[in-house]
This record gives sequence, structure tokens and C-alpha cells, in this order.
Amino acid sequence: MSPAAAPPVPSRSAPVEGYRPLAQATLVLAGAAGLVALGALLPRLARRARPAPAPAARLRRGAAVLSASVLADSATEHYRGSYHHRAMFAAPAMAGATLASLGPGTGGPGVRRATQRSAIATGLAGNLFHLRNAMRRPGAPSWETLFYAAPLGAPGALAMAGIGGLVASGLEQAPPGGETARRLGRRLALGTSAGLAATSAEAALLHFRGAFHAPAMWLPVTLPPVAALALAGAAWRPGERGIGRARGLLRATAAMGLLGMAFHARGVARNMGGWRNWSQNLQVAPPMPAPPAFAGVALGGLAALDLMEAP
Amino acid sequence: MSRPLGTLDPSAETAPRAAGGRAPDVFSREGWVPMRCFRDEDEVDFAVIGTGAGGGVLAARLAEAGFSVVALDAGPFWRPLADFASDEREQDKLYWSEERLSTGGDPLQFGSNNSGRAVGGSTVHFQMVTLRFRPEWFRARSDLGYARDWPVDPDAMWRYYAEVEAELGIAGPVRYPWGPRRGRYPYRPHEVNAAGHVLARGAEAVGIDWSPTPLATVSAPRGKAPPCVYRGFCKIGCSTNAKQSVLNTFIPRALAAGAEVRDLAMVGRIETDRTGRATGLHYHRGGRWRFQRARAVAVAGYSIETPRLLLNSAGPAHPDGIANAEGLVGRHLMPHVNDAVWGVMDEEIRWYKGPPSMAVSEHWNYTDDHPSKDFPGGYAFMSQGPMPADFATSLVSNTGMFGQALRNRMALYNNMAGLKSVGEVLPDPDNRVELAEERDALGLPLARVTFSYGEEDRALSRHARAFQREVLEAAGARDLFETTGTAHLMGGCAMGATPSEGVVDGDGRAWSCPNLWVCDGSAMPTGGGVNPALTIMANAARIADTIIAERAPDRRG
Repeated sequence: MSPAAAPPVPSRSAPVEGYRPLAQATLVLAGAAGLVALGALLPRLARRARPAPAPAARLRRGAAVLSASVLADSATEHYRGSYHHRAMFAAPAMAGATLASLGPGTGGPGVRRATQRSAIATGLAGNLFHLRNAMRRPGAPSWETLFYAAPLGAPGALAMAGIGGLVASGLEQAPPGGETARRLGRRLALGTSAGLAATSAEAALLHFRGAFHAPAMWLPVTLPPVAALALAGAAWRPGERGIGRARGLLRATAAMGLLGMAFHARGVARNMGGWRNWSQNLQVAPPMPAPPAFAGVALGGLAALDLMEAP
Repeated sequence: MSRPLGTLDPSAETAPRAAGGRAPDVFSREGWVPMRCFRDEDEVDFAVIGTGAGGGVLAARLAEAGFSVVALDAGPFWRPLADFASDEREQDKLYWSEERLSTGGDPLQFGSNNSGRAVGGSTVHFQMVTLRFRPEWFRARSDLGYARDWPVDPDAMWRYYAEVEAELGIAGPVRYPWGPRRGRYPYRPHEVNAAGHVLARGAEAVGIDWSPTPLATVSAPRGKAPPCVYRGFCKIGCSTNAKQSVLNTFIPRALAAGAEVRDLAMVGRIETDRTGRATGLHYHRGGRWRFQRARAVAVAGYSIETPRLLLNSAGPAHPDGIANAEGLVGRHLMPHVNDAVWGVMDEEIRWYKGPPSMAVSEHWNYTDDHPSKDFPGGYAFMSQGPMPADFATSLVSNTGMFGQALRNRMALYNNMAGLKSVGEVLPDPDNRVELAEERDALGLPLARVTFSYGEEDRALSRHARAFQREVLEAAGARDLFETTGTAHLMGGCAMGATPSEGVVDGDGRAWSCPNLWVCDGSAMPTGGGVNPALTIMANAARIADTIIAERAPDRRG
């Protein structure tokens, strides 16, 4: 090729990479909001006052933890993806709205229900968006696309939060009793059990990507499936011992979810520059907001067990 | 916000750092680790010359087995966190730039892609591509009908590949498309960058397999090493320690096991007694010549310096240089064909991001019968990500482009993509290293290196360029152009099944000197179509184990 034939430089209006104050602030605010919401819930989780909180309140709390987790996680991950597609704003926005709808006295019941239904729709649509993103990559489908494309299952957490919210509202408006409550409890238990398995599958994929380099990484791929099995077992054949066992395992799963945040904080420290380089490492290290999702789902399971024990 | 970017300390290149009972802590900016030190008059079990892919692995294994080991390297002992500026030219200090005479039909160019001068050797700046030899290549003559056989068991080599891959924490694909099944890589593959996806799209378009490249940079934390941050300064020193070089893996292990590493120690001659046994070595350090006594000597200076040292070590029983009874020292030198095809993509690629070669195709290493295959051996090809000065240099030297034309072309840097081959060159006794009349500053004779391609090599090179062009075009590149070159070195002191076939036997021991080993790329009888680092390491681990099995201190009674 003759040197003179070099084509002109393509001019493109690519977004300037690097410091973007607005997006940066969004990230920090979203992260803070998620953490504050979780912080507010932690004491109540720990207190375990007797009598146990009504199943509706517990379910609502679980859905709130889940949507807080999705809010912070999707805000960070989509920021990392430069929000290059407008639909990427939907995830944190919808998670935020869902979180608000689960708080006390936000909007009327109609608005809340509409919000939670939209969360379900957004979550499922998100699954499809992520699938499309993965399938567009060279070599798809492959382990590498599963590792690095948009995570296929993650948006499902938003749908789960929406479902939790809807069920909780139903319970509050017309508290069921007796056989109705027990049947609802069993159905909720089966659903939660599936949600727990899916959450664990996602952790398994990402921890496999991280080569299970720390032994603690095995915890979220072993404990939650056992808890899910115990929960499903209790729903299949309700009995005092089965319910007790499931409750213990679910509490352990919830605790593990919160502990996971600390482990992921350690993961941030182990990346280049550690916490001093937080603005980068919060994005590339294990996601801090992800593990509490286990606590959210586990709360749903505990609510289901409460219902199953209805007199 | 300002943060110290490094504490560049030029004295590392003039004053030894590893001395006085301590060595640099490679995981710190200015820290130290304790180091056992030997006196020159101590007769150590092993003096290892060179601390790269061969010597570093050997020193670590021998020290861990209880041998007393002194490992000497001509280069400095760097601390990656402090000493490696993010600047291409600053890091020219990592190459062996001492004078060498290069001649022949196709004189080799020495520098960035075939030499290293540092503790850790060229692994300090290697591109981290860690591919295995195809098993049949160890029996190339018997199984494939070209070149020669290695006097080693292919299965054993593949076992040692797995061992050193575990020791390096290689990040590789979950499923590797070519060759026999291999175990899982210790770390998962990195996310392939846009430059790698160009190869992937092209490969899929022409219907061949591709894979994320197995790389010696971790994709998750490993000990004190953080995961790779994809800075892209990989072809030079990695300043985060994510790159798993010998400097930050085997050298710390060797030190912890009680080996002494001497930096800035240039070995000039191996001393032998009347019976022909090595008794120690003369080395230059701290401004004067010294003599280290040793019961055994292992040479790991790579394909130029190892033959140069052996040839310069004549003694009463070795009139033509140590281990050179058959006149084979320095012969059968092989580089790799490193021809490349480059083009401009419509979309932005930013190929400097991440490790340079994140996608690979070994299609032509594992395809024997194809009408177009008019050469023995094979080649791999990989996606590319040269840094700007490197790429501009290659443009000037290959196309003659200059001035405004060069500026125009470099302005397209962010939209460029390329494919580069690592192609097998056949061993030829006339491609060799000899001693020249001229001498260096220390008074040592310079190496004179003669190299010419053979007809088969040229056929491979033509095929590689044409095929890479096809793949790159299929990926959507336009304005294609080619560059030629060589990379890596193999041979020079090859292993052979008999004294007339090689300088050393299958265990790396010299046929004509019972306590001298060669343990580096120079011992490779053939070059294969993959980057040699992993093979050198696996072979070094294997050689170390044969030494340990035979004469480990705890078995000597």
C-alpha cells in the first residue's frame, strides 16, 4: 500500500472517558442509598424480637433488601458499562422505585402495586436484554460470554423483589389464616427456594470466574442450595422438624449474605491500589452490594415458613 | 491528586541490590526479604547461571529440595511496583543490549522480543503467552517426519506443563479447542479485548477455531499479586505484579528456600579441572572478577549467552569449549517466524488495552493434511496490541513510511488491528553462535550469530502471511499491510539422545561434562509453533526433578 493512500482519521464523538462528575456522583449516591437502606434493616434483622414479625413485614423487608441490592449493584455495573444503552438506566431507576414502594407510606396501594408489577416486567425484560448482549459476543455461547457479558440471571433479582412486594401487600390488606395461609406459605416457599437456587447459581458462575481463589467463596454455592432444598422439602411435606431445619438454614443464609459484603470489601482491598483506588476497584472487584441479595431472598423464605405455621 | 508514580533508582543498574543478607522484596516499593548468603570459597551444590524461565525455575526447585544454590544474573534485581515506569523507552533497560555480531542470509535483530537482562530474565517483559507444545512435536521426526525428536517423554512434558501452569496461576480458557484434553487452568481466562475479538470474528468467518489465550497474568487475586488491571504495558515490565514472571514467582520461592540470588553478576567462564569436571565459575560483580566454587554448574543464559559462555570456557579436558566435544555448541539456533498482517477497522479497537495477545488460533499447529500446507511444522497466530512507539518503529522499518504518511497512519492507531504468527523454524547446524575476535568491556569475546532461513521456513512464512491476511480481511479490516520479523530463540545447546545428536542428554546434563547442566531455551531441539517460555519452564522443572531424584541432599546419606 502506498503511504500516501492512508485514509483520513475517522472523527467520532465518543464519550470522553475518565472523570464524569455526574455519573460519578450517581454512583456514589446510589451506593450510599443502598447501604443506608441495608443499614436501617440490619438492626431489625439482628433483633429477632419475639413474637416473630408478621410474615408480611418480613417479606416486605426481604423485598426491600433485594431491591436495595439491585439498586446499588446495577447502578455500579451499568456505570461501568458507561450506560451505553439507554435501557441500562431502567435497572437502578426501577430498583429505586421498588425500594421506595416498600417503604412506609409511599404513595397509595395502587401506585405501589403498579411499581412492583413494573419491577417484575423490567426484571424479565432485563434478562432478555442481557441474553441478547451475551449472544452478540464472538464465540457465544461459551464460558467466556457467561463470565464477561451482562450476567444473564441478575435482572431476575428485580423481578423477585417485585413479586415479594406484591405478595407482602396482599398479605397486609387481607391477612389470610388457617389453611389458606399455609397453602400460600407453601407456594411462597417453593418460589423462594427457586430464587435461592438461581441466586446461588449466579454466585457459582462468578466465583468460578474468580477460580474460587478464597475458600470462603465456596460458602454461597453450598449453603444456599442446602437451604433451598430444606425449604422446598418443608413445603412439600410440612412438619415441625422440617420447618425448624429450614428456618435455621435460612437464617444462616441471611447472615452469610451480610458477611459476604465484608468478604467483598476485602476483595476490593486486594485489587491494585486497594481502597485508596476505590473509584475503580468498586467496579472491578467483587460487587459489594451483591451478597446481601441472599439475605433478601432468605427473608422471603422465612416469611413463607411463618405462613406455613399459621394456626 | 498526585501520587508517587515510582521511585526510579538508576543505581539498581550499577550497584548490586541483593547483598548483605537481603534481597529486594518484589512485592514492595522499597522493602527487603532476608537472603542466605554464601562465600565464594563455599563449594555450593549448584551454581545456576541465569535466573529466567530456565534458571529461575531450576534454582527454586533445587533450593526447595535442600541443595545449596547460588543463582547469578547479569541483570538488575527490579521491584516492579517502583522501578517500571509506564513508558516504552524507559523500559528498554529490560533487554539484553550488549553488543553482538549478527550475520548470515537473514541476520537476527536482538532486543525486545528475544532477550532479557534482569533477575527473572525475559519473563519480566514477556507477553505472558503460555502455550504448550503439541505432544507430537516432541517426536517430530518419528511422528510427523520433520526436524528431530526430543530425548524426552511427551507425556512427562505435559505433566510438567500442568505443574508450572499451577505454579504460575495461568489464566486460560475453560475448554481449549486443540490437542489432547488438558486439566483446568488454575485461573479463568481474561475478558478478550476488542483486538482479540477481531481475530475471533475472522476465525469464525473462515471456519477455524480460536480461543482466549492462556496468559501468565492472574484474573483474580493470587497471594500478594492483584488481578490484572489491563493497563496494556505488558510487553514491558508489569508494574502491578499481576504478570506472573519468574521475578515474582520462582525467585521469591528460591530465596525463601535458602538460595542466594546475585544480581549484576556476569559470568565469564566456567572453570574445569583436568578430569573435565566443572569446579566453579568466574564472574564479574561489584567492579571485579571473582570465583565461586561449586560442585555442579547449571547454565541458563538462553540461546546466545549459554553457547557463548560454554565456548569461552575451554579447559584442559575441553579444548574447544566446555561440553563441545562434538562441536555442537552454538549450532541449530532457531528463532520463530514472527510475520504479521495489519489493517484498519471501521470501529474503534484501542488495541493497547489489556495484554497484547488475548486471542489465539493454533489451527495450523494441529492441522497436518491440508492442500495449502506446503511446509513442515506449524504456527500459531495471535491478536496484537503494540504500544505506539513499538508500532511506529515497526512501520518505519517494514514499510519505509515516514513523515506525513507515518503521521497519518499512526493517527489511525486506535482503529488498527493485527495478527502475528509464531512460526516454527527448522533446526539447521549452520545457524549458529560462535565467538568473535572482538571483545566486550569485560574482555569477553562477543558472540557472532549467523542465521539464514531455509526453504521450508520461507514457505511457512508465506503461508502465515497469506492466511492471516485472509482472516483479517474476513474480520472486516481494510488497507492491509504486512511486516516480517523474528521472535524468541531456541536451540544452540540442544538436548540429544546421543552425544552426536546433542550437547546435553534428555536430563539436560552435558554429554562430555558430568556435572554441567544446560537448562534453558538453548536446550530445545526444536522450536515448535508456540512461544517458548512455558516449555522452557516445564523442561526446567523436569530437569530439576531428575537431579533431585538422583542426588537430593537428603538421599545422599
